[in-house]
Amino acid sequence: MNPVTGDGAKPQWRVYLALHILMLVYSMAPVCMKQAGRYPTFSLYFCLFFALSILILGAYALLWQQILKRLQLTTAYANKAVTVVWGLVWGIVLFGEVITLKKCIGIAIVLAGVILYSLSEHAGKEAPHA
Amino acid sequence: MPEGQWFYVLVCLAGVFLSSVSQVMLKKAAQKNHKSVLAEYLNPLVIVAYLIFFGTTVISVWAYKGLPLSLGPVLETTGYIYITLFGVLLFKEKLNAKRLLALGLIIAGVLVCAL
Repeated sequence: MNPVTGDGAKPQWRVYLALHILMLVYSMAPVCMKQAGRYPTFSLYFCLFFALSILILGAYALLWQQILKRLQLTTAYANKAVTVVWGLVWGIVLFGEVITLKKCIGIAIVLAGVILYSLSEHAGKEAPHA
Repeated sequence: MPEGQWFYVLVCLAGVFLSSVSQVMLKKAAQKNHKSVLAEYLNPLVIVAYLIFFGTTVISVWAYKGLPLSLGPVLETTGYIYITLFGVLLFKEKLNAKRLLALGLIIAGVLVCAL
């Protein structure tokens, strides 16, 4: 049951979809930061990608608040773990990074930790913004 | 891990710590009563917090010069450690076994990824 709204059984697929679109967009912030660093500091493309990453982070901060209004905190924070997976995917797809089995195992452990952390929240209490 | 990468790992971890500090400052500011909406944003605590936040973005760009993208979000999860610490020290939040185990898993996972 959702302690905030009391409608635990009601499907909220629209909110989940919005949350995961937001996570996908948010995962592009580090992509922009990494891309910015590939150009000389203060060059046009450096500034462009840096500004884009700031823009994404700003939009994310605003929209995340809206998600938190509509979803149980623990659920929202547990789903946030997906950004680690996106980092892995973009690393491979966009930057040609080689992922070792060791790294996959490490990421799986981190994911378990983040999800367990979100489950450790006391109902109705504000989750920390990590 | 490649030899020169350690330095950038430390840069990234320092950035995550500073980012947690700015989050805590924003939370402190949010707990105070402000005279107006304008005062909610234009007070020293909030302004410094956003300056630090901007600084952490610069630090991240620097860190990614020497780090694979896939490692960044992993290192960012160390923020949960600081946030928990600040929560206990400054906001009198209670620790529980689940949360300690979760932090243990995060630390273990980060170590497996980075070592």
